[in-house]
Amino acid sequence: MRTQIVMDSTGDTRHHFDPSDPTAVAEAERRFLELKQAGFIAAKRTGKGTSELIRGFDPNAQETLFIPRLIGG
Amino acid sequence: MMYLPFFAVPLILLAVVLAALLAEPRFRGGSQARRQAEEKGFALLRAWLTPEQARQWDARNEFEVIGCDTGARYRIRRGTAMNVHQLDCTGRDVARWCFMPEGGVVTGDVLLAQKIALETMEKEVLALANTQTSPAF
Repeated sequence: MRTQIVMDSTGDTRHHFDPSDPTAVAEAERRFLELKQAGFIAAKRTGKGTSELIRGFDPNAQETLFIPRLIGG
Repeated sequence: MMYLPFFAVPLILLAVVLAALLAEPRFRGGSQARRQAEEKGFALLRAWLTPEQARQWDARNEFEVIGCDTGARYRIRRGTAMNVHQLDCTGRDVARWCFMPEGGVVTGDVLLAQKIALETMEKEVLALANTQTSPAF
């Protein structure tokens, strides 16, 4: 299973999908594109406490974190 | 003594109304949901920290990150405003930075967003951040 984690006011919302299920992958890709279009930053976990930004949907990423657009405080 | 009911009755009524409001699930539920959201945010943060950062967080409610572009060291403290401290080689504060995700995300999410941003897009995020430099503190 792969997980998309979206930061929000509840802490986060998680969406799980099976990478071997084409319908689920298409749904996950659609969600990725929608969130990116809304200004979210996507980062995939690459190790214990390490991550990298991703520009495109990666169905093989175990966990993808979506961070709302960053602003100066 | 004869004026006592004029003061006592309104006070008793006020106490009854306050007690009813505090017992109302909407009021209790709101703060409980917020507390749960905050806990969830801190759990997410903890899960994405390196082992060393997790040790620092558990001990002091703060952790250090290295900027991906400059190699500068930052200390991210629990908080949501001016809580990113840039350190010099002796560990002294030289600047404080303020940036966060837009919208109403919880504290743990803010800290995790700050960590990931400094570790993966340092120059980009500092360009939009507000800052205070050393003389202010």
